[in-house]
Amino acid sequence: MDDLLLKVEDLRVSYHTYAGEVQSVRGVSFDVKRGETVAIVGESGCGKSVTAKSIMGLIMDPGEVKEGSHIWFEGKDLTQNTKKQWRDYRGNECAMIFQDALTSLDPTMRVGKQIEEVLLVHGKASRAEAAGKAVEILRRVGIPNPEIRVREYPHQFSGGMRQRAMIATALVCGPKLLIADEPTTALDVTIQAQIMDLMKELQKDTGAAIILITHDLGVVAGIVKRICVMYSGKIVERGNSADIFYHPHHPYTWSLLNAVPRLDLENKQSLMTIEGTPPDLLDPPKGCPFCTRCRYCMPVCREEEPPVTDFGDGHEASCWLQDERAPRTDAEFMHNLKKQENKD
Amino acid sequence: MNINTNAAAADPRFTIEGCLDSDKEAIARPTITYAQDAWRRLKKNPVAMISLAVLVLMVLMALLGPVLCGQDYIAMDPVNKNQPPSAEHWFGTDLLGRDLFARVCYGARVSLLIAVVCTLVQIVVGSAYGGIMAFFGGWVDDIMMRIIEIMRSLPYLLVVILVMMVLGNNIPSLLIALCVTSWCNTARAIRGVVLQLKNAEYIMAARTLGASPGRIISRHLIPNTIGILILNIATSLPNYIFQESTLGFLGIGLESPNTSLGVLISLGQASMEFYPLQLLFPALVLVLIVLSFNLLGDGLRDALDPRLRK
Amino acid sequence: MQTLKYILKRLVEMFITLFIIATATFFLLAAVPGDPLESRADRLPESVRNNLYLKYGLDKPVLERYVITMKGMLKGDFGESVTMPGYDISRLLKETLAPSARLGLQTVIIGITVGLLLGVLAAMFRGTWIDYLVIFFSVLMISVPTLIFGLLLQKYVAGRLHLFPIIGWPKGKDLWLGGWKYTVLPTLTGCFSYIATYSRLLKTSMLDVVGQDYVLAARAKGLSEAQVIRRHVLRNSFIPIITSLPMSVAFALTGSFFIEKIISIPGFGRYYVESVQSRDLSIVLGQTVLMAALYVVVVFLVDILYTLVDPRIRLHK
Repeated sequence: MDDLLLKVEDLRVSYHTYAGEVQSVRGVSFDVKRGETVAIVGESGCGKSVTAKSIMGLIMDPGEVKEGSHIWFEGKDLTQNTKKQWRDYRGNECAMIFQDALTSLDPTMRVGKQIEEVLLVHGKASRAEAAGKAVEILRRVGIPNPEIRVREYPHQFSGGMRQRAMIATALVCGPKLLIADEPTTALDVTIQAQIMDLMKELQKDTGAAIILITHDLGVVAGIVKRICVMYSGKIVERGNSADIFYHPHHPYTWSLLNAVPRLDLENKQSLMTIEGTPPDLLDPPKGCPFCTRCRYCMPVCREEEPPVTDFGDGHEASCWLQDERAPRTDAEFMHNLKKQENKD
Repeated sequence: MNINTNAAAADPRFTIEGCLDSDKEAIARPTITYAQDAWRRLKKNPVAMISLAVLVLMVLMALLGPVLCGQDYIAMDPVNKNQPPSAEHWFGTDLLGRDLFARVCYGARVSLLIAVVCTLVQIVVGSAYGGIMAFFGGWVDDIMMRIIEIMRSLPYLLVVILVMMVLGNNIPSLLIALCVTSWCNTARAIRGVVLQLKNAEYIMAARTLGASPGRIISRHLIPNTIGILILNIATSLPNYIFQESTLGFLGIGLESPNTSLGVLISLGQASMEFYPLQLLFPALVLVLIVLSFNLLGDGLRDALDPRLRK
Repeated sequence: MQTLKYILKRLVEMFITLFIIATATFFLLAAVPGDPLESRADRLPESVRNNLYLKYGLDKPVLERYVITMKGMLKGDFGESVTMPGYDISRLLKETLAPSARLGLQTVIIGITVGLLLGVLAAMFRGTWIDYLVIFFSVLMISVPTLIFGLLLQKYVAGRLHLFPIIGWPKGKDLWLGGWKYTVLPTLTGCFSYIATYSRLLKTSMLDVVGQDYVLAARAKGLSEAQVIRRHVLRNSFIPIITSLPMSVAFALTGSFFIEKIISIPGFGRYYVESVQSRDLSIVLGQTVLMAALYVVVVFLVDILYTLVDPRIRLHK
């Protein structure tokens, strides 16, 4: 059987607003193998949620998936899907967990009903069986007294419980792909860890692939195999976890890593912030999108888009610094890393 | 900084210069204030703009109409009774030979005046009352709320009829009659907003940062209530014009020899059988005014809704 | 137990409110110069006049009359009508409430049903000609006063085309379920404002709900657009509708003053205006207390309804 589950090819998504066409996603390509976990990391507004919504077919007016974009799922191009095919796919083959479970669960519907709904829509259970399955999956995601909880409303659940219920809703049909859009952002730190552990555990059981979308590199450490770093609608660097954490090549990735709070660094080593704001995607810069905030910006960065440099083993970065004419400048980052290693 | 400059970097395009400060905070879209944004969106709404134009036209007509047509609204002319529209009498004359155009203009002026004054009273009293309720809270709020509840359960017609009976049939007493209970809904709306703001986290933050009450009122309270007030105004104005005309029709509001759109419609109905135009003209003006108010109000609601901001 | 206490508290509050309303009505009427017998008694001889005043208790000072009236009210006796001899409030209600209630119910049922249907259409086809058509008509409907609608329908549909009677209302055995031709025009006149109000209310509410995260989540579950609307959007957008329904029904039941006057329907509203104008205390008091009672009961019902349709809201705050 083919190992490849999802292949996104040159995805472009635009939103048509009063001011013009905002190009939220500008040519993103990546793939996900069966059972693997891939993270898409980037700050808010970089297009990572839009990418997720495109994979779910949830881009709606005024948004538009541009011609020439392809999303292959098990060898089938989702962009050619009919409405009916999308419906059969959503929630069944591919499910999504949203950031805020409080607003993502219908406040006027009992939690159990919301889980049963997915089963019934996809014909996975009869009305009678569905109720039992809902209790079962709630127990599976670690909700105590699920027999009672299925009859309660979302507002009667705590934050962590609600996120667990969301995960239950997403997994009840046994999807092959789970998209988790900032699944822990709205939660307390202690609960965050619990939810991440739960997802890891469930993945082991169900064998589902996960696309984890987050702005926090700290969350993905140790969980995902591969990471895509997105900036202003593009993937600027990708690679496996170790490469991204220990041998990053893009200045944006350096900044992200420096912005992760770490217990192991000396106190005086303050957290680095990334100054400035991302470019407005209404009028994307013609050069490198990060050039306005990059400390290593060169004249060429402002004029031409950086080419993709391949470092082998799937590790790629789009940055002019990797050009042979450019000076070698990952020194500062490596310096920090060294200092930390010396301490160990 | 610890940068290894490579000797190979001879190409000037490949020298590191860092980001320019001017670039960092470069924001492509100009920032616009809430009011500017609302106005911009309102301008894009053709229906609202046409309504605005019609309204301006109607107000001008109400103010200048009698001068323009050179006719007096009370001068009777027993010879030219019930005339059809002509160059001299644009809307014709009524059963006493009075120029209908002048009368409609004057009536519109009275109706608009009543609407504006009542709305003003409603907004001012309502905001003050609602603000006080929310600000003090506790038993003050309880008692003031009870008063509103009682006011609202008093039948509106009872109040209006009795006030008109006690104070007589004239414009000031109609104003009072319409204003007695009108402010209740505004007060409740304002109370809701102020209460919400009182507990809002950003107000708390402003307080902890030492913002003075004056600043909180001017920077947070007013901007947050102004939208509701504008919508309140937009729905109240046509509502008062409506009320005036229906009361006039029922014989409770203004009566002849006073003139207002309501009085004219009531008179028009009397002669509807033979001279339908005498009903049609005042009714048409009334509908045009109310329609434009409502359409403009709709446009304003869309324009002021921050959720539609993109 | 807590619920019971809450309901009891609300009942006491309602009673106090009604008492204050009755008091206010009494003194407002007493404040009007002159008295209701004036016009009738003017030409009568002194002794007959005195007897008449004695009969209605109008010879006594205001405060004493107030105590007598309130005592009577507590026993359910509002007194005899001054202007319509032989009538008291219960007889008047018996005769006028039925026409008003029938007209009100017909108006509300048709108006709200059509209004909600149009609202759903407008929200589902947002931005298309259907939406614009619904918006246009609903704004037009609330911009033309009920009475002008009534007059136009009466003049052209009834007067010129002779499709329906110009005035009148079914009586006797037709009171509730007959004489439909009489009820068409008044119902049509009245229902326009409900259509306009409810279509706009539902559309706004639906658009609010459509933007919520849980609707997106429902789509992500694989529900079809129709299922999303039926199971999640409508459910949630009906909350404001359901809670404003009782008030509409209550207002409709007590009649529309304007329609009853135009079409000459012997209804509750028409008599209310007449009895206030003639300062007929017992009738005014009875009708006012009835309307106020309806109002406070409906407010209470709405509060209970809220807790039923929205599980997030609890009864006792």
